[in-house]
Amino acid sequence: MLKGTGASAGVGIGHALVVKEQVLDFSGVKFSGEAEEKQRLSAAAEQVSERLQAMATSMTEKVGAHAAEILSGQIMMLSDPFMMGQMEEQIAAGNTAEAAVDTVCQSFIAMFRSMEDEMMRQRATDIGDLRARLLKQLMGLDDIDLAQVPAGTVIIAKDFTPSMTVGISRENVVGIITEIGGRTSHSAILARALEIPAVLGIEGVADTIQNGDAIAMDGELGHVYVNPDERTLGDYKKRQEEFEQQRQMLKAYLNQPTVNADGTKVALYANIGKPEDAQAALEKGAEGIGLFRTEFLFMDRDSLPSEEEQMNAYRQVSALFAGKEVIIRTLDVGGDKEIPYLNMKKEENPFLGHRAIRYCLDTPETYMVQLRALLRAGADHKNIKIMLPLVTGLEEIRAAKAMLEKAKKELAAEGLPFDADAEVGIMIETPAASQIADLLAQEAAFFSIGTNDLTQYTLAVDRGNPDVAPLYTHFHPAVLRSIRHVIHAARNAGIPVGMCGEAAADPALIPLLLAWGLDEFSVSASAVLATRRTISLWSAQEADDVQAEAMALSSVKGIQGYLNSMIKK
Amino acid sequence: MVSKMTKIVNPMGMHMRPAGMFAQEMMKFNSDVMLVFNDKEINAKSIMNLMAACLKCGSELEVRCNGADEEAALNKAIELIESGLGE
Repeated sequence: MLKGTGASAGVGIGHALVVKEQVLDFSGVKFSGEAEEKQRLSAAAEQVSERLQAMATSMTEKVGAHAAEILSGQIMMLSDPFMMGQMEEQIAAGNTAEAAVDTVCQSFIAMFRSMEDEMMRQRATDIGDLRARLLKQLMGLDDIDLAQVPAGTVIIAKDFTPSMTVGISRENVVGIITEIGGRTSHSAILARALEIPAVLGIEGVADTIQNGDAIAMDGELGHVYVNPDERTLGDYKKRQEEFEQQRQMLKAYLNQPTVNADGTKVALYANIGKPEDAQAALEKGAEGIGLFRTEFLFMDRDSLPSEEEQMNAYRQVSALFAGKEVIIRTLDVGGDKEIPYLNMKKEENPFLGHRAIRYCLDTPETYMVQLRALLRAGADHKNIKIMLPLVTGLEEIRAAKAMLEKAKKELAAEGLPFDADAEVGIMIETPAASQIADLLAQEAAFFSIGTNDLTQYTLAVDRGNPDVAPLYTHFHPAVLRSIRHVIHAARNAGIPVGMCGEAAADPALIPLLLAWGLDEFSVSASAVLATRRTISLWSAQEADDVQAEAMALSSVKGIQGYLNSMIKK
Repeated sequence: MVSKMTKIVNPMGMHMRPAGMFAQEMMKFNSDVMLVFNDKEINAKSIMNLMAACLKCGSELEVRCNGADEEAALNKAIELIESGLGE
């Protein structure tokens, strides 16, 4: 078995077509005069531009405007006076149009490849793609037309260039395997948009796999079998069927309200880590953002993000989800999330150390910037709620709120618009917070249960340590009682309570959460539809019966076994 | 010639989408439009030049316009940059 990066979920079974890069050798082309070469170049650019335009149109229809942007980028490059000017200069110096295209594109490719920014480095692929298009057009070579491949084809290539992706249709191509590329590459994004399983980043795969080889691949796990045995093939066929059924079934839950079997509504939100994720969450049917982690803004850089920069990131999500709630968690640094330039001390016990709200309250100059940015970002749509991580006591909420009041005064004095009524809530992720949830509810406008940390702190288990990881489970009665206690405390206090940990998407746990009265489920974008479906299958009575039965059991094994057996298919 | 200082505010900076949009808008003007950043001159009508300049969120730069419609070009450029380049 070969293993790569699972970049687009699904099971693909078919036969390999190895796409070799065409050799674009133009050494035999003779210079036919400056005017003639310039004419050839501009004609080729125009034809390529027209074809790209047609492809972009068809792609917008097939998979949406976002995916077609790669092509519009190339079209804009073709009308770039600077780049085309450089090519004409090359021709004026006595080079053929082919040589001019090659020289200029290669210099841009080298430049973009050397850039620090990952997104910019990916532009090198686009320019390489454009170079190949122009050369082929000039030399009268045909594009590899993937639209014409037979049904059941698995495409094997060194790299999946944007132009190859365009010709592909779901009817013919059942899988994509490449040597380069990761989960966030254009190829991966396109493969997901087309719903074609893809495994990227398997070194040397274009050489090891031969045309016609039988392939069975899993685009989620990143597994590829070449000429699989009967058993593996049978196994993959079964999984393929299940996966497709699942995908079709879940589509019915798009654009539907989230209600239980009795028609009672609950909120179903998404967790995101970057502003760009918000679009995907919206497309997957999220009704709000239940957890926007802000660490990304602080990572992979050398200095703190400015207030403006933070505000713009938050505002982007606020605008996209206008009219819906966006819960933004303030910086949750420390523990396993290290940010070098903050110069945090090395700690003996980082998970019990100077992290999250503790660090933030102790570095007000840093925290103030974020709080101001959050208040300002909510000015237009008034839908941003501020969430404090790792709270253990009332004093922390009061201290953070005092800082917010100070920030509001400053902003008002500076005449900057902001949301004066932004609500402040907390994550419940420590046993302390769970125990005194009733007290915390006096100061918090809402709760969100973070089951990942709550489980690890309640059970004193580091889930990253393989020796104790099996002890980490939200089916432990201590964790379940804790969750129940928090939900009840919130209901007694009359504040909304959500859950943004992985447990919120666990079909075995959902009946309990429904029975206890959880108001809001916040799950990863990919789990929104499955969670909506699970919720729809439970009536209040059934859910309550199951929770009563489960809570009467005393062992992890007993509870887990029982709840798993009650999962509704 | 007219010029004005401004700052990039969209979080992702001048990547492909905003660069393409900005270049296209600038091409509608007859004037030359230059961005000056870190002492380098960037042709604002060139998507490649714009992307290559590594303009990030927070980057401060000068917009210079020179030509018959320089006032209009400058106003449009500043408006686009300060409104987050469509993002």
